[in-house]
Amino acid sequence: MTVSSDALQHGVEDHIHPAPEGFIRKYVFSIDHKVIGFQYFITGMLFFAIAGSLAELIRLQLLKPEGAIMSNQAYNGVYTMHGTAMVWMVIIPLVTGALGNFIMPLQIGARDVAFPWLNMLSFWIFPVAGAILFASFLVGAPNAGWTEYAPISLQGPPGTTLWCVAIFLIGISSTLTGLNFMVTVIKMRCPGMTWTRMPLFTWATFATALINMVATVALSGALAALFMERVFGVPFYDPARGGSPVLWQHMFWFYSHPAVYIMIIPAFGVISEVLPVFARKPIFGYKMIAFSSMAIAILGFAVWAHHMFTSGMAPWLQLPFMIVTMLIGIPTGIKIFSWVATLWGGRLHFSTAMLFAMGFLITFTFGGITGVYLAAVPADLHEHGTYFVVGHFHYVVAGGSVMGLLAAIFFWFPKAAGRMLDERMGHWTFWLFFFGLNGTFFPMHWLGLFGMPRRYATYVEFAKIYPPAQLWNIVASASSLLMAAAMLLLFINILRSLVRGRPSGINPWGARTLEWTISSPPPYYNFKRIPIVLGLPYCFDEPLPYRNLDNEQDEIPKPHSASQAWMEATA
Amino acid sequence: MATTIISSPDAVRFRYDDVDHAYHEQRENRLTGIVLFLVSDVVLFSMFIFAYCYLRSSVPNWPPITQGGHQLPRFDTAFAEFNSIVLFGSGATMHFAMESWKHTNRPAFFRWLIATIILGAGFLGGQAYEYSTVSITWAGSTMGAAFFTLTGMHGFHVLVGVIFLCILGLQAQAGVYTGSKYFGLTAGTLYWHFVDVIWVALFFLFYLW
Amino acid sequence: MGMGPGFWPVTIGLTLLGIVSGILIGILPLDYLLPSSSLNVTDRGADIDFLFRFMSIIGNAIFVYVTGFVIYFAIAFRRRKHEPIESIGVQIHDLPALEFWWSIIPTVILCVLAIMSIRVWYLVQYGTGAPAFAVEVIGHQYNFEFRYPGLDRGIYNEMHLPLGRPVRVLVTSVDVLHSFWVPEFRLKADTVPGLVQNLNFTPQVAGTYLIECTEFCGVNHSFMQAKLIVEPQAKFNAWLDAQKKTAAVAAAPAASVAPSGSLALAGDAAAGKTSFKQKCSSCHKAEASDPEQDGPDLEHVFTNKAHPTLVNGQSVSPAHVAALIESGYKGSGPEAMPSAQQTGASAKDIANLTAYLASLK
Repeated sequence: MTVSSDALQHGVEDHIHPAPEGFIRKYVFSIDHKVIGFQYFITGMLFFAIAGSLAELIRLQLLKPEGAIMSNQAYNGVYTMHGTAMVWMVIIPLVTGALGNFIMPLQIGARDVAFPWLNMLSFWIFPVAGAILFASFLVGAPNAGWTEYAPISLQGPPGTTLWCVAIFLIGISSTLTGLNFMVTVIKMRCPGMTWTRMPLFTWATFATALINMVATVALSGALAALFMERVFGVPFYDPARGGSPVLWQHMFWFYSHPAVYIMIIPAFGVISEVLPVFARKPIFGYKMIAFSSMAIAILGFAVWAHHMFTSGMAPWLQLPFMIVTMLIGIPTGIKIFSWVATLWGGRLHFSTAMLFAMGFLITFTFGGITGVYLAAVPADLHEHGTYFVVGHFHYVVAGGSVMGLLAAIFFWFPKAAGRMLDERMGHWTFWLFFFGLNGTFFPMHWLGLFGMPRRYATYVEFAKIYPPAQLWNIVASASSLLMAAAMLLLFINILRSLVRGRPSGINPWGARTLEWTISSPPPYYNFKRIPIVLGLPYCFDEPLPYRNLDNEQDEIPKPHSASQAWMEATA
Repeated sequence: MATTIISSPDAVRFRYDDVDHAYHEQRENRLTGIVLFLVSDVVLFSMFIFAYCYLRSSVPNWPPITQGGHQLPRFDTAFAEFNSIVLFGSGATMHFAMESWKHTNRPAFFRWLIATIILGAGFLGGQAYEYSTVSITWAGSTMGAAFFTLTGMHGFHVLVGVIFLCILGLQAQAGVYTGSKYFGLTAGTLYWHFVDVIWVALFFLFYLW
Repeated sequence: MGMGPGFWPVTIGLTLLGIVSGILIGILPLDYLLPSSSLNVTDRGADIDFLFRFMSIIGNAIFVYVTGFVIYFAIAFRRRKHEPIESIGVQIHDLPALEFWWSIIPTVILCVLAIMSIRVWYLVQYGTGAPAFAVEVIGHQYNFEFRYPGLDRGIYNEMHLPLGRPVRVLVTSVDVLHSFWVPEFRLKADTVPGLVQNLNFTPQVAGTYLIECTEFCGVNHSFMQAKLIVEPQAKFNAWLDAQKKTAAVAAAPAASVAPSGSLALAGDAAAGKTSFKQKCSSCHKAEASDPEQDGPDLEHVFTNKAHPTLVNGQSVSPAHVAALIESGYKGSGPEAMPSAQQTGASAKDIANLTAYLASLK
């Protein structure tokens, strides 16, 4: 089939809507996916600051075995809000809402997501839900941990009901975003962008959207039942009235395990974009990485009960869940090995984004390995509910999702803002964060193995059987300050860049996905002409695999001429 | 303009050579969106169905025995059968309405649509009647919790559906839909059949099991 | 493709590092990670430590490889200053043979791990088949109660186990979730109201251990610990006998039988009759004039020779009757009786009811 590009352009340019006028339509109730992405980013980072401060309070409290700064009641509220906010108000909105919204439509050559109004609605639910969640501090914060296990959550303070409402709302927002992204990826890819030519971040966003759409509804169901039980006394979970506390755990984890993948798969996508660009080398095993994202997303629905090995479900059920959980280790391992192999034989540029991506490989691998320890049922009998678990999932979430998020910020900020971030400050951010992370979460593993349970406001008895307990907690607390410093530095870097950052140009990194072919920041309509895709965006020895580009007048662009500015800056 | 020849037979997809491309693109998006929405709705119902099965299987007797030691009664199957026939009938009339539209028979379309709305409302009335006569309460037992929550959710979906169909009827009256562009009607039909199918599961779970 | 400068030496070095550190993990005692690992405090704990060792050897090798190669690639393939910015790496997309092996080898390892885990899981869940000594653990906010066969009151916050004898610990709860964990035993089970879980193991080393609650159970969660004493059989028997004597001599301490302390209150039989009509008469008959009911007749509950024990198998004493009214009875199906919490009976009501029933001689 041969077709002239004249024919392709027919009816394309007339599609462009004029940009909205006025502050409200432009920046507040905007339906532009990029603006919504920024809104998610700003709101999410604000909540990140709050939830991070709560984390520092936790670390302060644990400086002394008998509790350094607050009562048990207050501490219980603080770690519950820290966990809840970090999961639902920070990581998920940032990696799906902010990154997904800003990058994914650009990468598939679309002018917006499929349902822009729905997208705006999804976003505006988010700050409302966040406000409701933090308002629970005023009426008595929920205190049973972010998992809010029944029946203790039925007796929890009034804030627990607000917690239900807030998470229910953010769940609706997630579901709608997931649905929106699914339709966008399925239906709105530009001509020539087949499934096997899709950039890996888009693959990751697609896999995440699937989980968001399916699993989050399950959470809504669980929360609705908890709400009904707390407010109207409808028995679902209270064992005294025929309900089952284990039912809550099933319903909660049916969402919340996939939620782990909602948090990590977008980071996988980011790493898969960043590594090839700065290694100047194709991603190793494109199809394996894409398929393993989908495999993880789908298998992820069949492993939830591995959080419940000690919870009292039928013993025979533990085995299939253990085996499927171990199965998930295989695609995850394949991804890690493929990323490492991507570096092999490259020409590595150590930009900040690249450092975060390589740091991710190390911390995430560690978190993945400790995950296998938790998957084996007998070993889990020892580790469940201890600081080993806390260490494990922080390596995955902070060492995986947040590292991926930071890589993404340093990678895509120039595209979003049109200005470069300062690389020297960026390097400091990386090293502070990397050492802070390891210093904080590494000691938690043996603290847990030696007998420190999670959610303990005080650990007097534990410190008696394990005298170094306080020392290691002090190490963890001190290291956590390094992470806080890294985040502060990032904040300064962003502000500084917005004021007087160097203009980034179209393509400062020499990257090859579609978003790097349009101006920075991208225009309202993204693509004046819908591009045509001819191949994978990871072949650095070939011309860009696009036709019909806005900026190149159908000429074949030189792959890396634009990265000259960046090289001069970092030399 | 210079003509660039692209030859990539396997991959390049074109959706822009249709005069109605904007409409069709939107239609496809919305159709996919509706289907995905229904999928996620199925998950919501599945969660509560799972909860019901779980609670049911965790006690030795069902219907459960209250704290007073009395076993709760089973639900009245006869009336529910009647009510189910009303709802399934509405599914059939909706199908006929859609067929009439496709054959550009507008009067028949409106007749069938009104029949669907009446049957849907009738089902809701029947359910209200059942709620008023059933001896268990929402907050009284796990059986009541599961029954009222699930049938209530379903009833809410029927209510939304009835309102949806009324709006579609008014829109059709006002000439919003044409012989080839009637996506709203497709969406309404899909939704209505979905509500029917959910009821099949609920009917089995509460009245036959 | 060019493997890169020093590829094979680095690979061999990392392999050696993985093997040597693996051997060290394999032979050194694990006490630096797991408390009292070299003592093998319980048999199942030793099995779990073995699993831990196995996973550590494999995990260590994977971590050494990944980290080692990341660092090596970072050094070997960094872009040198003199290289132009346009210079690119080796344009290779995949190596099917490599991908095959790095998919297959982890699969095999995970299969081995799964099989080893299943064996230990089976032994923990179902025991070795040897007759086991059963101890019940009941979680309360915020203490542990332990019940022993032949001892009809609970012991609080101190658990004794015989040394060298298979034990089955049955755990449950009366209020919210708790968890029973002995770090040195490597075993844990959540205490779930309405469910009984079990852990099977044999304590092998005498000593005093810490029991901790690891499932959030309320404000004072972090204060919920208990002491576990593993002692030789003879010493254990002596302890248990002493406990039985205390239980028989003194009327059981109110706190351990009826936690609300109802026995400390003097009961009023007349008020008890009123409460009985309100709370009990829908299931129980107390006087000859009352209608027949589904539940057991309580007409002569304290003197009925045909039924010398209560439904829960305990002897009929005021303390036990009060305790039963307070706790309720979870039978299967119709013989269930709601607890005082559910019926709304106060400690005073329980005392009155007990007095009333005792008056029906």
